[in-house]
Amino acid sequence: MNKVELAVIGAGPAGLAAAIEAAQLGVKVVVFDENAQPGGQLFKQIHKFFGSREHKAGTRGFRIGQELLAQTEQLGVKVNLGSTVFGLDKRNLWVLKDGRTEVFQTDAVIVATGASENALAFKGSTLPGVMTAGAAQTFINLHRVLPGKKVLMVGSGNVGLIVSYQLMQAGAEVVGLVEAAPQIGGYGVHAAKIKRAGVPLFLGHTITEAIGEHQVESAVLTKLNGRFQPIPGSEKTLEADTICIAVGLTPMMELARMAGAEFKYAPQMGGHVPIINDNMETSIAGMFVAGDVCGVEEASSAMEEGRLAGVTAAEYLEYVDGIAAADRKALIREQLSAIRNGTFGKAHPRDEVKEENIYGLKSSGTPSKDELDSCPGVPSKERLAKGPVAVIECVQEIPCNPCEQACPRGAIKVGKPITSLPQLTENVCNGCASCVTACPGLAIVTVDRTYDENKALVTFPYEYLPLPETGAIVDAVNRQGEKICSGQVVKVRNNKKADGTVAISLAVPEEYAMEVRSMAKGGTK
Amino acid sequence: MNILDHPILGKVEAAKRKVTLFVNGRSIEAYEGQPIAAALMAVGIKSFRQTARKQQDRGIFCGIGRCTDCMMTVNGEPNVRTCVTPVAEGMIVETQIGLGSWREIPHE
Repeated sequence: MNKVELAVIGAGPAGLAAAIEAAQLGVKVVVFDENAQPGGQLFKQIHKFFGSREHKAGTRGFRIGQELLAQTEQLGVKVNLGSTVFGLDKRNLWVLKDGRTEVFQTDAVIVATGASENALAFKGSTLPGVMTAGAAQTFINLHRVLPGKKVLMVGSGNVGLIVSYQLMQAGAEVVGLVEAAPQIGGYGVHAAKIKRAGVPLFLGHTITEAIGEHQVESAVLTKLNGRFQPIPGSEKTLEADTICIAVGLTPMMELARMAGAEFKYAPQMGGHVPIINDNMETSIAGMFVAGDVCGVEEASSAMEEGRLAGVTAAEYLEYVDGIAAADRKALIREQLSAIRNGTFGKAHPRDEVKEENIYGLKSSGTPSKDELDSCPGVPSKERLAKGPVAVIECVQEIPCNPCEQACPRGAIKVGKPITSLPQLTENVCNGCASCVTACPGLAIVTVDRTYDENKALVTFPYEYLPLPETGAIVDAVNRQGEKICSGQVVKVRNNKKADGTVAISLAVPEEYAMEVRSMAKGGTK
Repeated sequence: MNILDHPILGKVEAAKRKVTLFVNGRSIEAYEGQPIAAALMAVGIKSFRQTARKQQDRGIFCGIGRCTDCMMTVNGEPNVRTCVTPVAEGMIVETQIGLGSWREIPHE
C-alpha cells in the first residue's frame, strides 16, 4: 500500500495551484494526472488573461502554466503523469498506470478533474471535420496542426470566441460564428476582435446540418424564432471543411460522486456539482474540490479555488493553525470575488435575456455610438484635436486592469472593483501607446488627429502573421472588419514585453480617424 | 497542414526530428512527439475509422483522449486513441472498422 499525505487529482490550473499552496505550508503533496503532460488546458491558452496583477492578468495562459510547473518543481511536489485515477473513496485512490493498477492511501484529497466539452447533435454531426472547439485549439496551439482551412464556429461563449480568434492566428479562415441566443455569450472584447477580422456573426441561428460524403464540405444554418425553434425556409449553406462546437462544458465530477460526496444540480454551473462550503470542502471530511469540477468558470478562478482548497487541506492536516489559515483564505476569497464581480461570474448567474437589454457590443460585436460616447476611456473631441491620445473602447464590465499599470503617466484608472470601466485622464495621456499592447482584450488604440494636414495616425494592436512592412499600403478596416480606406504603415512596434502583440501605426485620411481600428489580415481584403 | 510559423508561438524548431509512419500503406512524415492524429491531420487525412454496421466515417472529436472517436489500429493493436498516442518511427496505422480485431502485424 502506497501512502500519500495529500493527493491532488488533476494537474490543471486548479490542481497545480492547490498543490503549490499546500506544499508551501509544508504538506507532502502528490499530484495525479492521466495525461502525458501536466498543465491541463493551460498550455493551449495562448491569449492574455484578464484579471488583476495578482491574477497574472495580461500574461498568456501558457506562460502561467510554465510558472506553475516551475513552482511545483521547486517545492518538490511529485506529479505522477500517465496516471488515471479511476476509483476514489474516503481514503483510497485506485490508479491505472502503464496497464497496472496501484492503490494509494491518502490522508486528504483534492479533486480537481476539470470539465469536458459538450456535444451537439444535428444531422451529419458525426462526420469527420466536426469537432469540439477545444479539440481544434489543442491541435493548433499544442500540436501545431491546422484542422481545416474554412472553419464554422458554433457557440459564442468565451471558448467559441477565443478559439475562433486563435484559428485565424493559426492561419485558418473563420467563415462564421453561430449563436442560438439573440446576443453574444462571451466577453464583448473577444467578439470585437473577430468582428474586426470580418467574421460574420449569425446570432439567433443554429446549425441544422453538416453536409459531406466522407468529411465536412458545408454546413446549413437555420434562423431560430423566439422560442428557439428553426424557421423553415430560412436555411443558408456555408462552405466549410471544419465545424467547431463550443456549446459549454460539463464538470467531470465522477470521482467525487463515486466517493460519496453530496451533490446538487446547478445548470448555471454546468450540471451536477458537489456541494461545498466556502473552504472548497465537500460533505466528506478531508475531501476538497477546486476548479471546473465544482462549477464551470475559467482558469483564473480555478487557480484561486485551488489555492483555497490547498490552504484548507493544509489546515485539515494541521500544518497551519486556524488563525493563519483564516487570514490566507480571506485574502484568496477577496481575489476570487474580484474575478467573479463581472458580467459572467458565479455571483451573477446569467439573467433571462430581455430584448431591450440587447444592444451594441452584445448584439453585434461592435460597441454602439452610445456605448462609445458614454465610455470613460474615450477622450473628448477637444482632446482628440490636440494630438495623440489613447482611445479605450472598453464598454463592458470585465474583471481586468492591466491598462492601469501599463500607463507610465498614471493616466488610466480602473480602481476597485476591478470590473470598473477604465477612466482616461485625457490631459495626462500623451498617446504613448504603452496601453495598446497591454490590454488583453485588444480594446485600446491611440489616435493622433494632428499627424499630418489631412492624415491621422491610428495605432492599433495586431496579432497575426505576416506583419506588414513599414511604408506598405494596406486596407484599413473599421470595427466591423470592413475595408473603409487605404492606409500607409508608418511604424511596426514589436516590443518583447508585449509578448507577440504588435503595435501598428497606420496613416489614414483624417475623416476616418475614429473609424479605422485595424487592418486587413495580410494587408488586403 | 503544419503551422510552421505563428504570431504568438513562433516558428516550429527547425531541428525538430521527423519520423516516418505508414497509414494504410502510405508513408507520411511527422514530427517526433506529435500525436498520431495530428500527423494524419497535417497531411489532410480526416477519416480515422468506420462504424461497425453502417461503415460511416468518424474522425477527431474531443482531441484529448476522452471520446474515443479517433481510435485506429496501431501496430496491429485496435482501439488506440490516436489523439493521445505519440507517433514512432515505422509505426503502422490502419483505419479501424467497428471494434477492430487483433492480428499479426504484416511484415514487409
